[in-house]
Formats: sequence, C-alpha cells, structure tokens
Amino acid sequence: MKEQTKRSWAEPYKIKMVELLKMTTASQRKKALQEAGYNTFLLKSEDVYIDLLTDSGTSAMSDNQWAGMMRGDEAYAGSRNFYHLDQVVKDVYGYKYMIPTHQGRGAENILSKVLIKKGDIIPGNMYFTTTRLHQELAGGRFEDIIIEEAHDPENEFPFKGNVDLEKLERLIKKYGAKKIPYVSIATSVNMAGGQPISMKNLKDVRALSKKHGIRVIHDMTRVAENAFFIQQREKGYDKKPVSAIVKEICSLTDGATMSAKKDALVNIGGFLAINDWNVFEEARNMVVIYEGLHTYGGLAGRDMEAMAIGIGESVQDDHIRARIGQVVYLGEKMIEYGIPIVKPIGGHGIFVNATKFLPHIPQDAFPAQTLAAEVYLDSGIRTMERGIVSAGRKANGENYYPKLELVRFTIPRRVYTQAHMDVIAESTLRVFERRSQIKGMEMIYEPKYLRFFQAKFKKKEA
Amino acid sequence: MHNYSVHMNTIIEPFKIKSVEPIHFNTEEQRIGILEKACYNPFLIHSDDVLIDLLTDSGTSAMSSNQWAGIMRGDESYAGSPSFFRFKDAVQDLTGMPEVIPTHQGRAAEKILFSIMGGKGKYFLSNTLFDTTRANIEFSGAEGIDLLCEEGKYPSIPAPFKGNMDIAALKKVIAEKGAEHIPLCIITITNNSGGGQPVSMQNIRDVKEVCTAHGIPMFIDACRFAENSYFIKLREKGYANTPAKEIAKEIFSYADGCTMSAKKDAFANIGGFLAMRDPALALQCRNLLVITEGFPTYGGLAGRDLEAIAIGLEEVLDEHYLHYRIRSIEYLTDKLIAVGVPVMQPAGGHAVYLDAKTFLSHIPVEQYPGQALAGALYVTGGVRGVEIGSLMFGKYDAEKKLTPAQMELVRLAIPRRVYTQSHIDYVSEVIIEVFNNRSKIRGLKITEEAPMLRHFTAKLQPIS
Repeated sequence: MKEQTKRSWAEPYKIKMVELLKMTTASQRKKALQEAGYNTFLLKSEDVYIDLLTDSGTSAMSDNQWAGMMRGDEAYAGSRNFYHLDQVVKDVYGYKYMIPTHQGRGAENILSKVLIKKGDIIPGNMYFTTTRLHQELAGGRFEDIIIEEAHDPENEFPFKGNVDLEKLERLIKKYGAKKIPYVSIATSVNMAGGQPISMKNLKDVRALSKKHGIRVIHDMTRVAENAFFIQQREKGYDKKPVSAIVKEICSLTDGATMSAKKDALVNIGGFLAINDWNVFEEARNMVVIYEGLHTYGGLAGRDMEAMAIGIGESVQDDHIRARIGQVVYLGEKMIEYGIPIVKPIGGHGIFVNATKFLPHIPQDAFPAQTLAAEVYLDSGIRTMERGIVSAGRKANGENYYPKLELVRFTIPRRVYTQAHMDVIAESTLRVFERRSQIKGMEMIYEPKYLRFFQAKFKKKEA
Repeated sequence: MHNYSVHMNTIIEPFKIKSVEPIHFNTEEQRIGILEKACYNPFLIHSDDVLIDLLTDSGTSAMSSNQWAGIMRGDESYAGSPSFFRFKDAVQDLTGMPEVIPTHQGRAAEKILFSIMGGKGKYFLSNTLFDTTRANIEFSGAEGIDLLCEEGKYPSIPAPFKGNMDIAALKKVIAEKGAEHIPLCIITITNNSGGGQPVSMQNIRDVKEVCTAHGIPMFIDACRFAENSYFIKLREKGYANTPAKEIAKEIFSYADGCTMSAKKDAFANIGGFLAMRDPALALQCRNLLVITEGFPTYGGLAGRDLEAIAIGLEEVLDEHYLHYRIRSIEYLTDKLIAVGVPVMQPAGGHAVYLDAKTFLSHIPVEQYPGQALAGALYVTGGVRGVEIGSLMFGKYDAEKKLTPAQMELVRLAIPRRVYTQSHIDYVSEVIIEVFNNRSKIRGLKITEEAPMLRHFTAKLQPIS
C-alpha cells in the first residue's frame, strides 16, 4: 500500500450546512431500545446520536448537487435530467442503455424478472440480502462462489471479494451454462466486510463466463471504492485514476444494477444498465409497472440530476481517498484497542467480529444483534447486524448459519468528522471492556421476508 | 356560466412566484420533425422540446416555499426518520387510518395491494380504474370491472357528479360474480379516465352500504381527494358551509383503506402511500414493501420527500387554493365551449378533456383520433397532451381486432400552481386553431407496441 501521511485523508470539502444532533441519556436509550424490540432498525433516528446503520442514502450532498436539485425538470416524460443522467452513465461507466429506478432493489427486481427462469442458478461473490431475495422470487437459486478467505475475518488477503474460479467452473459443469443466466459480481462485497475484487480476478471471471456464453452482471453500488483498492493494492494500477479503473471494471461486465444511494452520493435513486438491446427493451416495458415511465423510473427529475452530478464526484481520487481514509482511521483505532474487526479494513465501514467479541454467546442467541444493541446503549451509536438474523432462512425453513457474525459500523459519506470517529472507537472500547457481562437474546417476532428489518427480540434471562 | 361555477372574473392565484424555469421556444417546422422522431407519441418527446406541458398533473406541481423548506429539513436516516413520523401524522390526521405505508409512488402502493388481494378468478369493482391500477390488477391475474354511472359516459352532457358509481350495476355484478370473488371495491376520486369528474358523498355512502352488506372492503384511490372534496362543497346539498378538510375526512371515514399518489393532490414531485385500518393486512403489505420499495419508514422515498408530502396534504385543503384550482380549469373549458370545441362537460378538477371522436369525426376509432389530435396540438403550438382512448385502454379480441375504449379523449392536464392565465389563453388559441383546421388531420396506425401499458412507449405513423 502507498505510504500516506497521517492527515492525508483530510476532507476535500468544507461544511456548507449542518443538521443538529440530539444527545440522549442512558435511561432514555434503554427505554428507546426496549420499545424497538432490540432491533436497531426500529429505533427512531431522533434517539440516535451517531447513525452508522447504513451508508445507503445517508450521504451529504454537495452544493453542486443541491443546485442540481433546483434544476430538476419534473416533466413526466422526457425530462432533461434523464438525458443528462443517461449521458453520465455512458461517459463514466460505459454501459450502453440505462433505466432509472427509485432505488437499487427496484433495478434488481426488474433485472431478475427479465433474466432468470425457474430453476436457474445464479453464482455470485457472496450473497446480499435484497439481491438474493429477488433472485429467489424470480425462481432462481443463489450459489456462493467467493474465495474461502472471504469467510475468515482474520485473513488479510487484499482481495477478499475475489471469485473462486474453480467453484464457478464446477457449477457450470454441474448445471450447464444454459441454467446459468448470469454470474452476479459485486464490487466491494458488502457482506464480506466491504472487500474488493481484483481486476485480474474479474478478467478471469469474464474469460471463463465468455467461454460458456454466460453474462456477467455487476452489482456496482460501491464500484468506486473497489476501484480505489485496486489502485492502492494491485500491480500496474497505482498511476491510474480511479475514474479509469471504474470504467475498466464496467467494461468487463454486460450490465449492472446500481443503488446510487451509496457511491453516487444521493439520498434516493438507482438504475439498471445493460449493453444488450433486447434485454433493455424488455426491462423498459416492465419498469412502467413497478417503477414509473422509463424516463423517470419513479424518481423526481431533481433526484436524477443529483445522481448525475454525484456519479461524477464519486470517481474523483481526492474524494475516494478521504472517504476510505476516514474508514481506515476508525478501523486502525479499533485494532489499536484490541477490538476484533474484519481485516483488511473495508471500504464503507468497520465490521466488528461479534463471534470473537462475545465468544460466550452462541450464534442461535444472536451475538451480533446483541452487540449492536449494547453499542447503542453505551452512547447512542446505531449500527447494524450482519449475521444470522440478516442471513434469514432457506426455502425449507431452516436458518442459514453464515460463517460471519458481524456488526457493521457503516460510515455515511461526507457526514461525520474525525471527532465523531474518536467517539465511536472509545464507546466500542467501553462495551468491549464489559463484554463478559453481556447476555444473548431470543427472537420474539419474525417477518417472512428480509426479517432483519423488522424482527423483534428480548434479552435472555441469566 | 352554468350552475356549478364559482363567480369570479379574474382568477387570482393565492400565491406569488418564488422561482421560475425558462421555457424553450421552437418553430412549427421544428416540431413536425420532433414529433416524427418521437414516432407520433407525445410520451417520447423530450420535455425541452415542449412549450406548455399538459401531459400530466402528476408530479409536475410547483412546490411551495414551505415544502422546499421541508425538503431542506428532510432527515435521510434509513430507519425511524422524524420526517417519516411527520408524514405519518399528516396522513393519519387526514384519513383517520392508523396504518400508514409510504411508497415511491402511487402505482407501487397499488402493486403491493393487488399482489396481496388479487389473483386469478377475482374481480375488482370500481367507478373507473385508472391505467396503472388496471394494469396492476390484470398483472395479478384478476379482472377489473368499471361500473360508471350512465351520465358519466357522455362527454357533452353536463351533470354534477359524473364520477359516480352505478349502484344498481354494482349490486348486479356482486350477485353475478359472488361477493366471495370480489376482494375489493375501489372508488377513484376524482374519476381521472372519465374526465376528472367528482363522486358525490351520497354515492360514496351508497357504495359503502352495498359493500358492507356483502362484506366487501371499500378502498379509495385518493389521488385527487381535495379536488373531489371541493366539488362536493360546491355542488352537493348540505356541504356549502362545511370546510374542505372536513369533507375530505368524511370521505375517508367511509373507507377501509386508500391508495394515494402524492404527485397529484399533495403537490409532491414524487411519492405515494397506502393507508388502511386492518393491521393484519398492513403487516402483509409491509412484508412486500421491503422487497421492492424499501424499509417501512421510508418506502423508497428520500426523507425530504416525506416532508414535502406532509406539508402538501395540509396546503391542498386551503379553500383559496381549491377555488383558484377548480376555477382555472373551468376558465379554459368555458373558452372552448364558447367557440364550439367539443369538450367534456362540466369542467373536471384537474384537466380539460377534448372529445376527439367528435372533434375529428372523419377519423375512425381504429385510427386513434385522440392520438392524432394530441399530435396536432403539439405541432401547432408545442402543447403536449395525452390520449385517453383506444390507445390507452383499447384491447384486441381473439381475431386481433381492436375493441375500442368507451370514449376517445385528449386530456390536457393542468399542473398545479405552474402556469399563468396567459399560458392558458395561449393554449386555448392553439386548440381553436387546430379545431379550425381539423379536416387536414390524418389518422394513425401502430407500428410497435408493448403487451402492457402500451401507450407509454408505442410507436405510430400517419395513415396516408
């Protein structure tokens, strides 16, 4: 990795507008958490001091983006913001055809319905909650082809988002290329801890898929963060700007789903992109039913404009360096305090290893869910479980038991300062110091789909 | 002026302009080329090439400075945002319904509702279902049945409540199909496809009574609830002194639930919601919501949009606004009636509807007179309207022959708080010019179409 001076990640922006935070007392937090059924998703954001629930839709927009909001053309059909966005997607990512959607899952829904037939297999570099669900609802089945290193939180392999090519080849052999509509490749693999895939690996996946006539579809929500890691870690890329690396990544895939609420620095919006005209046409016919006419896709014109501008900002080297620099700063503090986190430090957050943090709590008693609740109690910091609750159940009703039982401390883009990072590290340390007294939980309400959003828990008695 | 009018010579807007957006001018010659490039479908014209955009009143409103302040105040937390709680309070206050579910727009609310309640062998009864509503019902395998009152079917006959449901027909269909196959009855207020015509309070009460007797829940498609409420105030006995908000609350009090596109009567550029009384149904809805829309406290909307909707729901019930709104539509309608242009009468709440069948009596319905008229309005004056006729609602029978829609209309929807009286004067001049040259307009044929909601993307060409 490049040597960087301590303050090299200083923000390439200054603050133009602020949002006031409410401070809470320990007893207020205790009450709020009980009311939320010990699920951080169900807390009111007013009761939260530092909100690390997600980096999705929580970015601070730039003054340029806000200016774009004022330039929104709210015409139902043919808004100029649509044409701007269409051009930006071509210029920055290189995909031929684009359909806006109200957010990433809207794009996943449509793409899954268009490409997947009943009984299909979709190999991917680790599941993501909504992505896998849409694949399943369309009649397909997800198969994990990520390298084994990704499941080991301690392993410091630089590209833990890589695909195990042998796994992919075995799947193709077993089911035949006809049963595999596409390989689903995420850049910055979220569930693995924001871990990147290397360009070399992506090229190999591309070559293997091409040999069998299988498409590669790109879950590109954090492509710029992945590109930055390639620039920092992969041979031959240290002189290339992030924007060029992003374009190269996209060129190795046939289409993409994008939640612009992450990399692209907007509060709402997404798109699906595809190079094949026929798929595009089918998707365009479907988008009017679920999202909106294909020139707005369920978004206000102003949001398409903010997205077009945000995409441009997201691939600037200075921006990405500061973004990931802040995450690394927090991660290194936690490592210094002895807190077990996923290594190497990922792009969009710190993933605390709950299995190691609370070794006395079995996975059935939800160690990560418990830890998220405890961190909130300590200082009002809201984090998210990414373990057994998120993994949900298989079609036959059995729980998935994921190898990773993590709590995600996701850092919103351009929102919090270094002082906030210090508070987060110190608060986590306080919880770590009293970890042996913490007890597990049981689930008392479980929704059918995406249960982590709305499930409720109670504390186990001694 | 007829009985239902608001007596006022000059329409004074109860607001002043805070921010403007320039209009791009082009020539008739340029517009001929643009329309050809758009395959004679106004949906495919770039908005930059349109002078006066009357394609829809959906999402095209000018927000108030208060709404923009709400936009700045939007809390973008993924879960539990205070913007959501302000939104929920506003919806609960208006509808009295405890369960409030935000969606990215109205059709998403419908999609969720009909995924749960729809399915093969089921029938949804309505005064008139709108295009996306019908599409969502059919997509689930169910069938939608329109039971509009008789007077609603004739554009030139004025009547106060042409959006009413035909109660006798309602009873008959329930007897025929069996209440157990009818999961829901939906009243669309105002009736968009039927000319933006209102439904009376009495009719809503009557429908509710029939539904209750058969154990069928009643929902309201509430997109234009405020406009409908104001028509009740103006036209229905006993409501002249009732505030519009009280009327709206009474309407919702009869319903078991509602779907709402906040892009209409909440002045929002994006957003919608589902509200209902039944917590068990709400739980099912939220389970689907997280799949396609988003977490239940944002439903696929930015926090700022929830704020804008909450404020808009309050603003829209201001009677000075409603007075101006209804009177503006009537102003254009009266101008056209005065020179003999065939329009839907009386004026509706959000749009002027030209009767294309009479306007272009030389063009048969198989050649889409409404679409031809919409094209002519664009070429002559850069005015963009939308066909609501056989292109939007026509179907093919087993022999691939077109079963036409009941009416061939061109809707000129007036965005809320966007255009001034001089814009409207210009529009009337364009329509009158087209009317005077109507014999030169040719019919169209379809060259390309999608299996559902074809009017959005269909390509056409003139018949020589």
